[in-house]
Amino acid sequence: MEEAVMLAGKAIGAGLAMIGALGGGVGIGLAVGGAVQAMARNPDFSSTIQTNMILGVAFAEAVAIYALVVSLIILFVL
Amino acid sequence: MTFNWSGKRRWVALLLLIAGFVVMLTVPPVIPVIQLPGEVWPNGWMTNTLAASIIVWILLILLAFYTRGAMPKGSNEVPRGGFYNLFEMAFEGLYGFVRNITGERYLRYIFSFFMTIFLIVLLSNWIELIPGVDSVGFLHARAQSDPATGAVEVEEGFELNTVLPGVYALDPDCPWLSPEETAVMTVEARIAREQQNCATGTTRVIEGPEALVAGAEHELEPAADSESAEAGVEAAATEAAVAHEGAVTGDTEGAVEEGGRIDEAVEPDPEAAETGEPQEERLEAVHAPTGDPRVPWHIIPFLRAPSTDLNMTAALALIAVVMTQVLGFRALGIGYLTKFFNFRTLLTSPLGGIDVAVGLLELIGEFARILSFAFRLLGNIFAGSILLFVMSFLIPFLPWPFFILEFFVGIIQALVFALLTAIFMNLATASHHAEDEHGHAEEIPVEASAVGEMTPAHP
Repeated sequence: MEEAVMLAGKAIGAGLAMIGALGGGVGIGLAVGGAVQAMARNPDFSSTIQTNMILGVAFAEAVAIYALVVSLIILFVL
Repeated sequence: MTFNWSGKRRWVALLLLIAGFVVMLTVPPVIPVIQLPGEVWPNGWMTNTLAASIIVWILLILLAFYTRGAMPKGSNEVPRGGFYNLFEMAFEGLYGFVRNITGERYLRYIFSFFMTIFLIVLLSNWIELIPGVDSVGFLHARAQSDPATGAVEVEEGFELNTVLPGVYALDPDCPWLSPEETAVMTVEARIAREQQNCATGTTRVIEGPEALVAGAEHELEPAADSESAEAGVEAAATEAAVAHEGAVTGDTEGAVEEGGRIDEAVEPDPEAAETGEPQEERLEAVHAPTGDPRVPWHIIPFLRAPSTDLNMTAALALIAVVMTQVLGFRALGIGYLTKFFNFRTLLTSPLGGIDVAVGLLELIGEFARILSFAFRLLGNIFAGSILLFVMSFLIPFLPWPFFILEFFVGIIQALVFALLTAIFMNLATASHHAEDEHGHAEEIPVEASAVGEMTPAHP
């Protein structure tokens, strides 16, 4: 019984932790959307824009990855 | 090498596909025990992520020798085709890519780190795509010793199927049942398990193979009694794992005599396991021979992608961040420290206090970069490898789209890690004297350079 409650708590906690991925998703969407618009307007600078886009996406993704790591730690380490 | 492969590769692919189906049907996948730290091999110190990273190093060294040998010596020599051309193309592309970011001055320093990190991370990520990584490994009796009481507590696991002599697979139809659970099992459940060819815990004892019987008279190692119970139990568990490892036959004979003890007389008796001498009884359960229904088995994979181990990613992140500081000191001298401890404008400017705070935030940011580097790579690749084997478990025949996904995730994460290193190194070389004139423009130097490049085209 105790273990079952603990497992349920872990599952709920891991699920709640992944709410943090929401922000990362929105951020990546905005970044890539803006970058694609910029590239469509000015294709000559695609490579520069792409570099900056990958950088921004990596930063935005990092937050979501923190949420993922917290969730993985809750599930498999705790 | 002269064999003409054209038109025959498709048949090889078809054969591999059919072989995949056959393997899937004969050895159905079992969802593995997921563990964040690298699993330790039965030899006690080697983790499977370390083993995989040794393979990565060997591959990189071979790559270095190969490209060195294949490089055209004179300007007249026509370059060798094939893989060398591919590598040269990628190398030149990345070289131009980094030059766009950093400029010429510290290009060699930055690019050497960029390319090294890129190749290491790329191979570390792609290792998870090889079939058998994460799924083929040592058999291990899944037991956990309680540090307080020394009692061994067996956890969940699966019974074994013999695929080939000496090769075993976990049986997904037969999750392991503890003696306590079998004691209260209903007749219907027992019959159902019997029909699945699973042990029911009380009706039969599967005897070990011939090789194990030889060690039957051998008494239990006295280590378990004399030393602290916990250490003995751990040693026993690893010995048992070595003894029953099918693939490595060389180790088997030596280890069997120590670990493989058969207790034929003892029927799996739940009461005895619970009350009478619990420690002794359960120790024997851990020592039980292959196929014993009383022992839950799981797999310690031989190899696991090195990027799924925090040790590897944190080490790379530390190297990247520390060498960034080294380059900063090399480029700016001791003045590099004013980036973090910026007291110059404290008395002259009304906003000097903000500059101090910004400098301290930069210092914190440097440490945050270590964490962010390490966890970004770990999280992506660990989640990817979990995705791969969970998908193989859920959709038996169609995990391949996820392999393609992970192929690209591997490239992108390697590129992101290396690119961020290059960008941070470029940041560290940026002079701060410009800061007084242009405010904080060079905090994002890539953007600044992008603006600089864009202005000519601007109307």
